[in-house]
Amino acid sequence: MTGYIVRRIVSTIAVMAMVGIFVFLLLRLAPGDPAVMIAGRSATEEVIAGIREQLGLNDPLPLQFMRWVRDMLGGDFGVSIFSGRPVLELISQRLEPTLSLSVLTMILSVSVGVSFGILAAWRTGGLIDRLLAAFSAFGYSVPVFVIGYFLIYVFAIRTHWLPVQGYKPIEIGLWPWFVHLILPTVALGLGYIAFIARVTRASMLEVLSEDYMRTAAAKGASSYAMLVHHALKNAGVPILTVIGISFAYLIGGVVLTETVFNIPGIGRLVVDAINNRDYPIIQSVLILTSGLYVLINLTVDLTYTLIDPRIRY
Amino acid sequence: MTISRREILKAGLAAGTALSIPSVLRAQSASAASRTVHMVKTHALSIFDPIYTATNVTADYGAAIYDTLFSLDSKFMPQPQMVGKWGVSDDKKTYTFELRDGLGWHDGTPVTAADCVASIRRWGQVAPGGQMLLARASDISKKDDQIFKIVLKEPLGPLVDILGDLTPSCLFIMREKDANRPATEQVTTTVGSGPFTFNEALAKPGASYAFDRNEKYVPRKEPSDGLAGGKIVNVDRVIWDVIADQQTAMAALQAGEIDYYETPPADFYSMIESDPNLELQVRDTGQDAVLRMNHLQPPFNNVKARQAILHLIDQDAFMRVMAPDPKYSSAITSIFGSTPPYSNDENTGWYKKGGNPEKAKQLFNEAGYAGERIVILDPTDWHEGDNASQLLASELRKIGINAELASMDWGALSVRRANKGPVEDGGWNIFITTENDYGLSNPLTDPMLPANGDQAWYGWPKNDEYEALRAKWANTEAVEERKDLARRMQAIWWDFVGDVRLGKYVVPIARRKTLTGLIGVPQLVPMWNMKKVPA
Repeated sequence: MTGYIVRRIVSTIAVMAMVGIFVFLLLRLAPGDPAVMIAGRSATEEVIAGIREQLGLNDPLPLQFMRWVRDMLGGDFGVSIFSGRPVLELISQRLEPTLSLSVLTMILSVSVGVSFGILAAWRTGGLIDRLLAAFSAFGYSVPVFVIGYFLIYVFAIRTHWLPVQGYKPIEIGLWPWFVHLILPTVALGLGYIAFIARVTRASMLEVLSEDYMRTAAAKGASSYAMLVHHALKNAGVPILTVIGISFAYLIGGVVLTETVFNIPGIGRLVVDAINNRDYPIIQSVLILTSGLYVLINLTVDLTYTLIDPRIRY
Repeated sequence: MTISRREILKAGLAAGTALSIPSVLRAQSASAASRTVHMVKTHALSIFDPIYTATNVTADYGAAIYDTLFSLDSKFMPQPQMVGKWGVSDDKKTYTFELRDGLGWHDGTPVTAADCVASIRRWGQVAPGGQMLLARASDISKKDDQIFKIVLKEPLGPLVDILGDLTPSCLFIMREKDANRPATEQVTTTVGSGPFTFNEALAKPGASYAFDRNEKYVPRKEPSDGLAGGKIVNVDRVIWDVIADQQTAMAALQAGEIDYYETPPADFYSMIESDPNLELQVRDTGQDAVLRMNHLQPPFNNVKARQAILHLIDQDAFMRVMAPDPKYSSAITSIFGSTPPYSNDENTGWYKKGGNPEKAKQLFNEAGYAGERIVILDPTDWHEGDNASQLLASELRKIGINAELASMDWGALSVRRANKGPVEDGGWNIFITTENDYGLSNPLTDPMLPANGDQAWYGWPKNDEYEALRAKWANTEAVEERKDLARRMQAIWWDFVGDVRLGKYVVPIARRKTLTGLIGVPQLVPMWNMKKVPA
């Protein structure tokens, strides 16, 4: 097991190095110039050239790359070209909103999605199964911004029950934090609920058709015991895989929800940085996100051993 | 167990107090809310140095935390702001300025003449007006802590107008230690001497920025007039919320979560007008849409081809795609925009409602156009510019011109427009941009108006006769004489067609009716004078 973890961490570093080279080159080769964005639309060429020189953008690409790698290995992710603030400080400020939204969404999606999946498998072909299938199709196919605007209209503008937008840090209070996350969580979670429910249903149906489930039924096991103790545990590996992938995807993919509900998270940080050509921020976020992605996958792989003792690394 | 009457009374009193707490808190919260204004700006604030960048949002930040030597009043005349007394020698070469009393930095130290001298020198590195001032100055120095002087090699008529110009980068006075940096190196401290202080503790980059009333600020005694006069702050705090999504910003305005939305899209105008709590307000002179042609490359190195574009344009059609509500757009025929006093109608016979495509076709033929590719840089991330570029391509194709749209975002366009080479080498022929209508009234500071070839703005128009008149502007103080110069310059411009105008439009701001007293000036959004009444 230890050897496996070491191998995965080494491969993580290799992946991050490749992402780093790719992102660096992609940004430098793409059209656009941060000096132009800083100077403003009407700036003269002289002013732009001065800013470019001061930012070190005239240095040869290999020199810029080596400087970036050297600083990053020393734990220095650089400063934003625009605000002049340390990139790590900017990322850490944006981490809490993204993680809050992602964790709440996963809690909602897993609890509701798995329950719906079990329910649909239990009543397969019946009314509940059909209703849940319709719900899943709806949740999976309606874009998050449509749901988001609908929820804002009903719960914020018409009834004034919940705020339209914004994020309150948890340190201000649990209730303001939670209230500002209800609508974004529901909007974002709907698709994941649908996805997890469908996978859970399919996985449960497969297990429920196994011989040992018939045996359990013949022994007089209750429906609850059959579904939760016998079927769900054996259907757990694919469900866990989906949850892991969803969580990793969620962290990188919340940008639309963050935009609709004006949550200052990592996604918004990257989009703004791309528009401004703020290279240090884009590079750092993509490197850290790729590392996080690999780490979540590793955690999921290791969790398999807890569910299925037959799995060994 | 028995309960006495006194115990019942005590319990009732306690319960009453407990029940009233939420309403007390609500009242306090409502009161605090009425002293805090939430604004949504067009762009997020990301640079904290209004000299380092000329972007409007940073200029607005500058107007809040810094002060200026002179400010323009509502008639665009410069009036002393930080300056108490000033004078000029008989030979018009030595200007002496004395700071008024009570000026202090947010860190508690006094503003000195040395701060002003350093600020002028830094601003002069980047602002067109400042560059002209530095080129003419033989000495800019302090006499003592309150007084500084500018000595010129030759008179500069509009010197005070230049010091008070509100076109970014404006001359915001910074501390000497900040202003001693090169203008291409960003100042990241946020200490000014203006009517607001920047609240660093509440700053959430990319999310919100807070400005608090500067309790120590001493405003001028004169009433507020444009940017001039006393800068009285009537609210405790102004918060700039960054809301990227337009629909969300609109919903937040409707729900009362924000008070001011700087650039609502035209689609929302009817919704705003029908909401009893909201109002649209025009507080700016608007933008002139400008079509720049590359004068260095065919076919627009030929004046006939440039004249063809001038005759082709149907300004109404362009305004329909750039600003669909006709209430907020108009035709523009003066190179000085529509702002008095230099806007004029000299040599505008080319203007025809609906354009004149036949004449344009004839002029292209006279220019010897033989089907060469005409590349139009199309900024797809700027909705109005994208629409106008597509319309232009369509109009050109209708008269047999081989127009090609090169789609890109504004960042990429900004790089490509610097390429002076032919289109085969990554160059360009046309791009569309906008310029503040008020800014165009000053040919010394506006980047669109020079026609000095390589040194001119993108497109590099060149006309020596025009430039000779523009140089005279710097030596002319009387408004009537400048008006005459303006007419002569415009006559030449429309003959050699330095660029082409597509019309003028203005984007009204949307605000809740509880927010009043917004000062209407071009370019900047001052935050003093405004009031918020409880809903």
